[in-house]
Amino acid sequence: MMNNYLYDGTADGLLSAIAWILEEEPDPEKVTIRERMDTLFEEGFTIGTDATQAESLFFRLKQYAPDAAHTLYSFMLAEKEGMETSLLHYVSLAFKHGDKVKGYLTHPAVRDIVNVSKKAGRELHRMKGLLRFEKLQDGAYLAKMEPDFNIIHPLAYHFSCRLRAQHWFLYDVKRRTAARWNNGSLQFGTIEQFTTPALSEDEKKVQALWQAFFKTIAIPDRKNPRLQKSNMPMKYWKYLVEKQGE
Amino acid sequence: MDILAKLQILSGAARYDASCASSGSKREAPSCGTGNTSSSGICHSWADDGRCISLLKILLSNDCIYDCAYCVNRSTNPVERASFTAREVIDLTLDFYRRNYIEGLFLSSAVMRSPDHTMERMVRVAEALRTEEQFGGYIHMKIIPGCSSELVRKAGLYADRISVNIELPSQASLQRLAPQKHKHAILEPMALIGREIATSLVERKASRRAPRFAPAGQSTQMIIGASPENDFQILRLSQGLYKKMNLKRVYYSAYVPVTADNRLPVLAAPPLLREHRLYQADWLLRFYGFSAEEILSDDAPHLDESFDPKTAWALRHPEFFPVEINRADYVTLLRVPGIGVLSARRIVAARRFSLITAEGLKKIGVVIKRAKYFITCSGRSFEKPDQPPALIRQRLLLGESSDAAVSALPKQLVLPGLFA
Ligand code: SF4
Repeated sequence: MMNNYLYDGTADGLLSAIAWILEEEPDPEKVTIRERMDTLFEEGFTIGTDATQAESLFFRLKQYAPDAAHTLYSFMLAEKEGMETSLLHYVSLAFKHGDKVKGYLTHPAVRDIVNVSKKAGRELHRMKGLLRFEKLQDGAYLAKMEPDFNIIHPLAYHFSCRLRAQHWFLYDVKRRTAARWNNGSLQFGTIEQFTTPALSEDEKKVQALWQAFFKTIAIPDRKNPRLQKSNMPMKYWKYLVEKQGE
Repeated sequence: MDILAKLQILSGAARYDASCASSGSKREAPSCGTGNTSSSGICHSWADDGRCISLLKILLSNDCIYDCAYCVNRSTNPVERASFTAREVIDLTLDFYRRNYIEGLFLSSAVMRSPDHTMERMVRVAEALRTEEQFGGYIHMKIIPGCSSELVRKAGLYADRISVNIELPSQASLQRLAPQKHKHAILEPMALIGREIATSLVERKASRRAPRFAPAGQSTQMIIGASPENDFQILRLSQGLYKKMNLKRVYYSAYVPVTADNRLPVLAAPPLLREHRLYQADWLLRFYGFSAEEILSDDAPHLDESFDPKTAWALRHPEFFPVEINRADYVTLLRVPGIGVLSARRIVAARRFSLITAEGLKKIGVVIKRAKYFITCSGRSFEKPDQPPALIRQRLLLGESSDAAVSALPKQLVLPGLFA
C-alpha cells in the first residue's frame, strides 16, 4: 500500500511536508505527495505547514549536499505544480547519495527535477544579461521584465553585487513584484498600481547610442537571424532597447 | 564630429575582432563604485550576425600610420577617420554598464603617431576607469606591438585580459601583408605577459594583497585565409602558443575582404567553414587531449570539409573502437565522435548508480546519432560490428542532416598562382 500525503500548496508547506515524511516514513520513495484541493473525497493525510521545518530542511541539505540544495532552490523558482512527488524522491535520494545524485539521471525523479531546475537556472543566467535599466528623472534606474520563472530574488541579489553605487528597481510585470536597492540595502515587495515614471533627459540619447552600436557591431556579410533568435528568444525582446520597433 | 558618428565609425572598425569573451575573471565591485565581473561570463545581447555581445568593443582611433593590406584602417584606404577622447570612452562605458548593456570594455586601436603614443592613451582610459571611477567591470585591452614593456605592464595591472594579435600565421606573410609589423614585436610582449601572469599568480598565493596581472589571461587572434598557410601550420602554431606562452585562447577570424589589394587572395566569400573547423580542432587541443599531430599531418595538412576533426580522426583509427560505455575511462569516452565533455561527464556520473543500458544512455541525454558507430553498451553494439570505415563514412554523411547548416558555409576560393 502506498501512502498519500497532502500539503497546503505553498512552498513552505511542501518543504515542511517533505521534512516530515523523511523523518517518519521508512521508505520515502514509496510515498506520494500532492496539493490539497479540499474536495470531499480527497484521500490522504494532510501535513501541516511549519516554516522553521522547511527552512531547516533546506539548510541541512545545503550542508550535506550544496549542489543538490542549489538544484532544489532553482526548482522552487519554477513554481511547477504536479511534481511534488518527484521532488520528495529527489530530496530523499540527495540525503542518501549527496551531490552525486545529480548524476543519477537514469532515475525519472532526478531527471525531472534536474531538468526543471536547469531551465530556471538558464533563464536566470540569461536575464542577468538581458535585463535593461532605464534612468529615471530622479536619477534612479528601473528595469522591467516578464520572465517565465520567479527569479526576481536571485536576480536582484546579482545586481546588488554589481550596481552597488546606484539606486535601482527591478519590476516583474506579470507577478507584480519588485525589488529595490538603495544605499546598500535590498528590499522586496509587491506593487498594486504601477505607473511608469518619467525618464531622465539623457536617457533617450544613451539608448540611441546603444542602438547604433548594436547595429554596427554585426558583420554585414554574416547575417544570421536564426542564430540570433535561438540565443535571444523573441519573448525577451519587448524590453530590449536594441530590439524596439522590430 | 558628434559622439554618435564616432561610435559608428569606431565600433564598425572593431567588429572583425572575433573575441568577445568576458569570462575567466572574478573581480568584486568596489563598495562605492560600479561593477564586478562574473567568472562564467555573461552575454548581454546577440548581434544580427548571431554573435554574443558582452563588451563595448571599440577602437580608440582608426587613424593609422601603418598600411596592412588586409585592414580597412590602413593608411592608404580612403575611409573617414575618427578618434575618441578618453572622457568619451569612459562615459560610454559607464553609461552602458549602468544600464546593463555590457559586461565592460574591449579597447583596441589603430596606431596613432607611434605605438607608445597609442598605448599610453589606451592605458590612460583604463587607469581612469579603475582609479577615478572605481569601475569594477571587465576590461580587455589590446597591446599595440612595438610599445614599451612598461606600458604592457601597466595595461596588465588595470585590465582583466590583454592580448597581442598574431595577425598572420607566419613571418613571411607578415612581411608581405603587414610590412611595418615584426614577429619579434608581437612575440616579445606575449612572452612578457606570460611571465608577468605567472609571477602574479605566485605572489598572490603568498599574499592576497599582491596586485593582479590580467587575471583572465591573455589571448590572441589570427586572420585565416588572407595568407597561404595550411591548417596544420596554423594548428601547430596554436598548440605552441597554448603550451609555451600559456595563452587562454587563440581566436581565428575568417578573412573578410575589405580592401582591394593585389597581395590578397580573391575570395568568393569569407572562409567560414574553415574557420569553424579550426575552432573545432582548437577545442580538441584544449579540452580533449588531442595534439595537432594527431589531427593533421604533412601529408594531410587540411581539415576535412565534410567531417568535424574528431570524426575524421575516428574514421582514420578503426583500431581504437568500439569503446565500451560502461568501462571506458573519461579520456577515452571523449574520443568518441558525438560524445562531448558534457556527455562524457554524465556517463561517468550515471555509471556510479547502475550499468548504463542503451535506453539509459538516451535518458541521460546522450545523443547517439553519431556515436552509435563507435560504441558498445555492456558488449552490445548499436550497429553491425566491424563495418569498414568507408561504409561508416558514407552513412555518417547521409545521416548528417543536422550538419547541413555547416556544409552550407562557403568554402574558400583561392585563385591559383596567387601566392606563387
Ligand atoms: S596597424 Fe592595425 S589598424 Fe593599422 S593598418 Fe595594421 S591592422 Fe589596421
